[in-house]
Amino acid sequence: MEVRMKGRPGEPGLARQQLCVCGEQLSAQASAAEPWPENAELYQQLKEEQILLSDNASSLAVQAFLQMCNLPIRVVCRANAEYMSPSGKVPFIHVGNQVVSELGPIVQFVKAKGHSLSDGLDEVQKAEMKAYMELVNNMLLTAELYLQWCDDVTVEEITHPRYGSPYPWPLNRILSYQKQWEVRRKMKAIGWAGKTLDQVLEDVDQCCQALSQRLGTQPYFFNKHPTELDALVFGHLFTILTTQLITDALSEKVKNYSNLTAFCRRIEQQYFEGQDKDGSAAVAARSAKRSLLR
Amino acid sequence: MAAPMELSCWGGDWGLPSLHPESLTVMAYAKFSGAPLTVNTINNSWRVPKGDVPVLISEDIVISQPAKILNFLRKQKYNADYELSAKQGADTLAYIALLEEKLLPALLHTFWVEAENYSSVTKPWFASRIAFPLSLYLPGKMSREALNRILLTRGGPPLYSLAEVEAQIYRDAKECLNLLSKRLGTSQFFFGDMPTTLDAFVFGFLAPIYKVCFPRVQLQEHLKQLPNLCRFCDDILTFYFRLTVSDPALIISLQMDDNLRKSPQHPPRKLTTLKLAAGGEASSPLNRLSP
Repeated sequence: MEVRMKGRPGEPGLARQQLCVCGEQLSAQASAAEPWPENAELYQQLKEEQILLSDNASSLAVQAFLQMCNLPIRVVCRANAEYMSPSGKVPFIHVGNQVVSELGPIVQFVKAKGHSLSDGLDEVQKAEMKAYMELVNNMLLTAELYLQWCDDVTVEEITHPRYGSPYPWPLNRILSYQKQWEVRRKMKAIGWAGKTLDQVLEDVDQCCQALSQRLGTQPYFFNKHPTELDALVFGHLFTILTTQLITDALSEKVKNYSNLTAFCRRIEQQYFEGQDKDGSAAVAARSAKRSLLR
Repeated sequence: MAAPMELSCWGGDWGLPSLHPESLTVMAYAKFSGAPLTVNTINNSWRVPKGDVPVLISEDIVISQPAKILNFLRKQKYNADYELSAKQGADTLAYIALLEEKLLPALLHTFWVEAENYSSVTKPWFASRIAFPLSLYLPGKMSREALNRILLTRGGPPLYSLAEVEAQIYRDAKECLNLLSKRLGTSQFFFGDMPTTLDAFVFGFLAPIYKVCFPRVQLQEHLKQLPNLCRFCDDILTFYFRLTVSDPALIISLQMDDNLRKSPQHPPRKLTTLKLAAGGEASSPLNRLSP
């Protein structure tokens, strides 16, 4: 679906006339002709004060994927990144004159440009990869959202202060209550509203167990080469391991599986070490480790 | 040994033991693992469990969601997965997540949101099995919940109209069916020769799409182009459910159809087809499919 946004003359960047491409309806022919530019940018919320666990995980997953494809990307932090995004979700990338959000569409966009990590897989492996990506989205991402928005202690102490931090009172409270209401509605629709925190942590444990058993002793999920599944799992697990919340229960669940922690460390060392730009996961980890409590 | 277990769920029609995907999943798992379940289909009584069908009742324990029911059955030593390796167990979870994310929205849409399907098939069928006056309210509520779920999980920007959301969910569902077909390949069940939890879930989701006769059937037509999945459903129905016309559950549902017969939306030829098929057992599913 294409949406043209007209901006006032002189307004920088995205407000100018652009093509927003999302989902499968890419103008693939147009975009495939152009090579990956040097000034591609990834937008997310402010790293130190604003970004939440689930958004950080998604953003890190996209960064890891682009690193694995060897495509240069610069991370730009904006307070209104969520509103700039064509689908309302972060992160989104701005490449040439196109804007694509979320890992799924970004993978397809990158594939249209001729870079792909999963070409070497056969049909059954591709089906497996898609199934595991849905597992991570279904369980890990939903659990992260639950913890952030439906667990009252976390909501009061971490989420509300962080989510609305760039805005003045009362806008910060209004925006965070609005988002909380949206997320709770979705949780109710999929049947997670009735779950207790312990049940959610049990689901996370089950998901990590499945990932750990699938990974086994291999370096990546599909043996020798990383795929988008590795990027997604890395994004979520690394963020869970390195973010300080009220309790350590969530990260403890992941730490139970040593091959998963080794997997995260391996990808961090291979794709993120030696960078001193903002996009480095090492920097993100160090800043996340500082106390998030206000 | 174990206490007697009773499963309360929606009944079946069109050759299926149940029309409800989650009920079907639990019934299939019980057959695969040999658990002795007494199945009580919901009929015109006042004791209708409002939201959480299927419900397993064993002595004082009441369990409601399929995943929890299956866990309970496993704890009672009715385990269909004990031959699976750890990696296969992990694959099971992943494929179930794939089904829930990609196939379930389209399934809900076909049953509850698509206007022609809902008004001519789903609503009369469910209304005939719920006591008056609840039958006036409950199908509508289930339909609204289904639409709500679809819109909340798949309906955000950049899809701004219901038609775009519908197009997207059917695309995803067809892709999911293709993936399942590739994964199944030529083997009889997903993990070799014995059916497991994953087979129960896939059967629960696919069989209603495959068998129920709707006016709008784009998903069914796509499924029929994947012969290994159709064979998979038929095999389970024949070997594990052995539904014949002499089955008492089926006779009850034939009597229930009296309500449907009087409805102007159901052509009377449906009943004559059933009567003719009463003589032949194996051909009855095929006959009932023909409009």
